[in-house]
Amino acid sequence: MVISKVRSSTKEHVFFFSVYQKLMHHKSYNALFFLLSILVHPLTYLSYRKRKHSLQYRQTFEQRSQYYKEKGLVTKWQVKFAEQELAKAKFFHESVSEKQLQETASKLAETKIQQLVEQDLSKDGLEDPSYLQFFSQQLKNKSFVVLTFLPAFLFYVALILFANPFLQYVIERILQSFIVIVGVATLVFTILYLSPFDPARNLLGVTATPEQITNFNHIHGLDQPYLSQLWNALSGLFTFDLGTSFAGKENITHSIVNKFPITLEIAILSLLMAIAIAIPVGIISAVRPNSYLDYTFMFIALIGLSIPSFWQGLIFILTFALKLQWFPATYNPQNWLSLIMPVIVLGTSITASIARMTRSSMLEVIHEDYIITARAKGLNEFKVISKHAIRNAMIPIITVIGLLFGGMLGGASVTEKVFNISGIGSYIVDKQFIPDIPAILGGVVYIAITISIVNLFIDILYAFFDPRIRSKMKKS
Amino acid sequence: MKNSLHVKLLLKITQEYVNAHFTFVFSLLFSLLFLAYSYNFSTQSWRPIVLIFFVIYAITTAYVGFLTLRIKQDLASHNDIRKSTRLLGYPLLLTIVSGNIFSTSFAFLLMSKSKTAEYIFAAYAFITQLFIIGISALNLFKPYVTDTFLLAMGLFLFLAIFYIVMLILCTKFVTSEAAPKWMLFPGILLLIASLTGNLFATLLGYSLIQKARKSNPSTIEKWQRIWEKILRNTMAVFGLFFIVFMFSLSVTSSWTFDYDFAIENNYGALLQTPSLEYPLGTDNYGRDLFSRIVFGAQISLIVGLFSTIIPALIGGTLGAFSGYYGKATDNLIMRSLDILYAIPGILLAIAIIAAFGANTINLIIALSVGAIPTYARTMRANVMQLSNFEFVESARALGASDAAIIFKHIVPNSLAPMIVKATLTIGGAVISTSSLSFLGLGIEPHIPEWGNILKVGSTYLETHSYVAIFPGLCIMLLVLSFNFLGDGLRDALDPKSN
Repeated sequence: MVISKVRSSTKEHVFFFSVYQKLMHHKSYNALFFLLSILVHPLTYLSYRKRKHSLQYRQTFEQRSQYYKEKGLVTKWQVKFAEQELAKAKFFHESVSEKQLQETASKLAETKIQQLVEQDLSKDGLEDPSYLQFFSQQLKNKSFVVLTFLPAFLFYVALILFANPFLQYVIERILQSFIVIVGVATLVFTILYLSPFDPARNLLGVTATPEQITNFNHIHGLDQPYLSQLWNALSGLFTFDLGTSFAGKENITHSIVNKFPITLEIAILSLLMAIAIAIPVGIISAVRPNSYLDYTFMFIALIGLSIPSFWQGLIFILTFALKLQWFPATYNPQNWLSLIMPVIVLGTSITASIARMTRSSMLEVIHEDYIITARAKGLNEFKVISKHAIRNAMIPIITVIGLLFGGMLGGASVTEKVFNISGIGSYIVDKQFIPDIPAILGGVVYIAITISIVNLFIDILYAFFDPRIRSKMKKS
Repeated sequence: MKNSLHVKLLLKITQEYVNAHFTFVFSLLFSLLFLAYSYNFSTQSWRPIVLIFFVIYAITTAYVGFLTLRIKQDLASHNDIRKSTRLLGYPLLLTIVSGNIFSTSFAFLLMSKSKTAEYIFAAYAFITQLFIIGISALNLFKPYVTDTFLLAMGLFLFLAIFYIVMLILCTKFVTSEAAPKWMLFPGILLLIASLTGNLFATLLGYSLIQKARKSNPSTIEKWQRIWEKILRNTMAVFGLFFIVFMFSLSVTSSWTFDYDFAIENNYGALLQTPSLEYPLGTDNYGRDLFSRIVFGAQISLIVGLFSTIIPALIGGTLGAFSGYYGKATDNLIMRSLDILYAIPGILLAIAIIAAFGANTINLIIALSVGAIPTYARTMRANVMQLSNFEFVESARALGASDAAIIFKHIVPNSLAPMIVKATLTIGGAVISTSSLSFLGLGIEPHIPEWGNILKVGSTYLETHSYVAIFPGLCIMLLVLSFNFLGDGLRDALDPKSN
């Protein structure tokens, strides 16, 4: 019982050590771990210096190198290196003085002897560790871990988390998305900050007095320096408090919360429609390539890709709303029929893209060797396609769907304008004439955040489901 | 059994047969469209002009169907197309009058046995020129024409004759490997003629000069092979034709079209329906929609081209450095571009335009910025692959500098995917331009641009729908052409298919 306990504890020590060793090779991790364990370092460093000054290593080193020198190996190497240098100079038609030649040769011989001695010494178990190596060695020490557990608590937590390659990947990916989101917010804010327009002038009119303008700028914090404005904007974005808009004094977060679900609903419905139509179409096209059906589908897909969505919207309104009167021309939350046209218009180009992507991805997979194997096994065509081809072809398609979803949320502003939907896209467009900086910033950044989260989710799902990615992560 | 398989294969690889089939289908589709449109359901009456078009197209379809069968017979019995069948292609040339580009190009294809790339360039240069003459001639029905109209039309006619002469010369003297030395002279003339925007003349002139100067045979072969592949793809060729036609039209439109018709208000002719004087009708200020659309092509092409070239250059350079140096440089560049990539292009464009105002320059900048990351990614992937090849290593061993290796050795070898990507994204840029203009965020509203015209059209959708329909059709056709050409280029340039 006692023995088993001891064994498990020694195991754990090696555990911290090995995790740390593995991650030490990445520079960014090194810095992160150093910061997390900063409280421990002063004392550890002191003990490291102390150990280093024990002269044992240096003495053995000297002895060993003396041994090589006495054996006459060094002079031998020196002559050899000099010969090499001379040959090199001759080849490049360069003139080298005798003194220079000797100098380089002796330098090369010196490094060689150093390497040799170091190798010999490490064979004997003697090493000259750097501080970080020393530190990682300490992690094997049970009492060291216990002693430093509280001051470097976060450090150990991080080590435990990063021990699992999947968790490590997820954390890395989340961190990356977070940095991107902050970057997006900074970029959009900077663009709006650099604007030569004066919102105060635009809103208050030409007759506004200088006092009124200063007052307006003061209320909205436009008179502050760039960095503090940026800080306010960023903290506002992450605490969901963007203040009031310049025009109309409405609460921006409130309006965005009201409008975002409408856009999201239409976008998700479009996406579902696209997937439901495009993937079967792409598969049929790929299974019968260069047939009439394939040509027709791909021609229609290309038309869908080339049609401007606002024009398509207008034509739909003209035909189905005005002439045939099947659907209402403008969007009305109470009437689900009014949702159909915007969903189709928004989903057209993404349907076309997914269909084309599915076809090419399927065609690539169908020519793989394992499909031939499956056929040779005697599986029927349906099983080969549904069991072996589709599942592998889906991987790039899902990535593309994630990326296209972002483009669709961006393109929603045009569709929303055509069908008079008060979603987030048309909100941004309405606000840009002033320009209402916090409103535009909020709209654009929240859309970018949504897209980032969707893509993050897809990436993580991949890591979870795709065995190839999992094994790759474990290897590295 | 074996014989029928052989014929089937022969049918598949014979370009004339494939093209005949294609022409038949498209002519049939168009005649059905005309038939459907020739009857006005609301007034229960026939539209005579459309009906005439239907009859012409139906006859063409029948004739092409007959030719298709004949070609099939020829191939089955003689393994080749007979001379008499080829002669039957000549009457089909007349269909150019009805504007049936499909049957006209099929006629040119059928007429000549030896189809060098030069022959096809000359044929399309001729067709493009005729189309431009036809479109410009519609100005004759206007109350007045520009001062340069007659001169320009004379020039166009002369060029058309010149191209047809070149076509005959090409069939007689040019082979797929060489051309006689004196071809240098017409080659230079063709390059000068391409100042009218007829890029087929440029292509023809360039390849003639190349062959006449007997330059490096491997370059000639490469050039020939790539074009052969592109020209085999019927849709890509029509895409290229429509792009060249639009480009040439927008270059020459200022000589034959009066800009006043497009921008000056004419209160005597508000919202006219299409007629000979106003082929596509007029808008709410009495401006001629036809002239507006023709001038709108200029803007669309300019914005489309620039907002593709600028990000391709910037993104390409960044991607090349990123892919070549790797590690920290790669991380820094690609992570910062990830930020740009996270914002949807059109939203970024809206933000930039909101900050700096709506005009053409800002629009080009706004669309360019959003497109940088995709080009950088494409370039980076290529460069990473190429920088491990032996020729790069040998260049490094010879002491070439990093910049020389990147821009002299790696980049020229990774241009093909960039060209394909650029062609496919020009279409997207054209759509974005008109979408933003439609939202009031693009080109200034007084400039005739397709999105602006559509914006006006959207308010008269119920009463005068044609104002919204025609510019949208133009956008769609132009984008479709770029997409077809891009697909064709990808198939031709993709190393996988070689």
